[in-house]
Amino acid sequence: MKSSLQSLLQPLIAIVAGLLVGAIAIVIVDGNIVETYREMWNGAFGNFYFFTSTLARATPIILVGLGASLAFKAGFFNMGSEGQMVLGALTAAITAVYIPGPGWFKAIAAIIAAMIVAGLWSALAGWLDSRFGMNLLITTLLLNYIASLFAGYMVAYPFKDSTTNSALSQTQMIDKSVFFPKLFSGMTLHIGFVIAIVATIGLFLFIKYTKKGYEIRMLGGNPLFASYGGVSRGRLMVASMLISGAFAGLAGASDVLGTSYRYLDGSLVAANYAWTGIMATLLANSNPIGTAIAALFLAALQTGGMGMERNTDVPLEVSSIIQAVLILFITAKFTMSFIKRKKAGAKDGSTN
Amino acid sequence: MDQLIDVSLFAAALRMITPILLAALGGAICARVGLFNVGLEGLILVGAFSAILGNYLTGSITMAILFAIGCSLLFALLFAYMSINLQSNVIVVGIAINFLAAGLTTFALRAIFNVKGAYYDKDMQGLPKIDIPLIKDIPWLGDVISGQSILVYVSIIIVILLQIYLYKTVSGFRLLAAGENPTAARSIGLPVRKIQYLAVLLCGALCGLAGAQLSLGNVTMFTEGMTSGRGFIALVATMLGQSNPIGVAGASVLFGFMEALSYRLQNFSIPSNLSAMLPFVVTIIAMIFFKNNGYKDDAKKSNGSSR
Repeated sequence: MKSSLQSLLQPLIAIVAGLLVGAIAIVIVDGNIVETYREMWNGAFGNFYFFTSTLARATPIILVGLGASLAFKAGFFNMGSEGQMVLGALTAAITAVYIPGPGWFKAIAAIIAAMIVAGLWSALAGWLDSRFGMNLLITTLLLNYIASLFAGYMVAYPFKDSTTNSALSQTQMIDKSVFFPKLFSGMTLHIGFVIAIVATIGLFLFIKYTKKGYEIRMLGGNPLFASYGGVSRGRLMVASMLISGAFAGLAGASDVLGTSYRYLDGSLVAANYAWTGIMATLLANSNPIGTAIAALFLAALQTGGMGMERNTDVPLEVSSIIQAVLILFITAKFTMSFIKRKKAGAKDGSTN
Repeated sequence: MDQLIDVSLFAAALRMITPILLAALGGAICARVGLFNVGLEGLILVGAFSAILGNYLTGSITMAILFAIGCSLLFALLFAYMSINLQSNVIVVGIAINFLAAGLTTFALRAIFNVKGAYYDKDMQGLPKIDIPLIKDIPWLGDVISGQSILVYVSIIIVILLQIYLYKTVSGFRLLAAGENPTAARSIGLPVRKIQYLAVLLCGALCGLAGAQLSLGNVTMFTEGMTSGRGFIALVATMLGQSNPIGVAGASVLFGFMEALSYRLQNFSIPSNLSAMLPFVVTIIAMIFFKNNGYKDDAKKSNGSSR
């Protein structure tokens, strides 16, 4: 009981600290704190349209966050969500444009292809670590740049949209029949959000009740104990990275099929979905349901920030400062899990 | 510009090496005291921005460099406090430092310069180029080595000084001991925390210099996220060099040269998207061949894990 109270208290302290630093930033640009935060709230939840827009923005963030939470739970610092998501989106767009068949078939094929490509890209980093001992944290960070540049090349040359005269590096627009259905007419919220919620519950049940889920928790909690228990670290690493990447790929596919309707170079990176998803996971200490809630909260900060920028002179970037401070303060929580691990004599405690 | 490899390529490489080298040396010192600093990227970014800001405010290059060092020091202090005093997970603190640096610099870009994306002032002075007497008259070598920004030479001197400091001085030995075995170091009365603080602050100062070279040496402007992965490449240089200054310098030379080469390849009608991958691909390949477990042990020794 005490620990669950503490796990709630930690994020609350972080949120208060974030809002305090945000308030300082607002004062620096001569803004009114109360008015600015009210505009921020209105921008995120002010009316039904804004509310559903916040949920729509949360959709890819939840999915990326779930993927990251699975890897983190197993003790692997998968920082490659951005590249995995970009490759997923690119694959989804290309598949949806070029594969023949009815709309529903194209959509499903696009999702599956995106998950496979992103999953394999992610598993590559896991394999490099377990096979060659290459630090996963670093390889995933470096692979992000390679993936983004590769996707940029693909839409600037082989798969460039030739149907319009646009100079933008982007794929063709996907067919209307492939679009994700909207949940409410006239709103941006699409069925991807439902998928994200189902995935959240599914991952929660998987980690809590299945044998593999137990192995993942064991490996993340105490690698030495896990190896005594016969858990193969290398194999589990590749597998959990595969699934983790597949979630990021699903996030990319959901953005292409539900919001952008094409892959536009740089759009996912600019929107910062992937890093926000990782932040959500860190905030929720890798708990899937907590991750979804944190993702919603961070999405609200971002859509709220846009509302704030429309109606006040305070720049949008205040939101990113608040987010960064949140993460900085949430780290204290990791302390306890680390002390526990040290006591257990973690000979193999490193993630790589 | 039709030649792939010529004098200007090597001169450009020397410019590109410097920020990576300075940051990697900072990372090496942190690794030596057992702190795996993922926040290098953020520290360089802060240095790059504050160098431009310092130059804008004072109009003096010296003040700009000092200002860059000062701002990066503040961030390093935050990193040190969170990871040493609060015992937070160093990796997460490093990531948070990167987020904070990205957020604060874009915010400050809006709040101070009122621009989005990039700040450029054509009247702003970059770092002065220094001609070295005698060397500048040597045919090929002179064109490469002479006429670089002052920080290029400073970085080379720092490598030598650091090598001497770590392996030839008492204080350097103590620093190594504090990272090697904190408990033993503490038992003979070494102020381990103080040493760790010093190392992190030194790292902050070096990253400040790296940032200044990036925004005032290579170009004279600041763009959002202009570090674009150099901090992470520097981290790999730290690992490959086994946190030994000369080794780190060797790795940085490789990565800096690849960066210069990737720019050069654009002149050969290779799409910039592909040529820009080169430094990252080479970095990853280097991780296979120069595999070492030194950093692993370092990470384990002090903070349990790099999780």
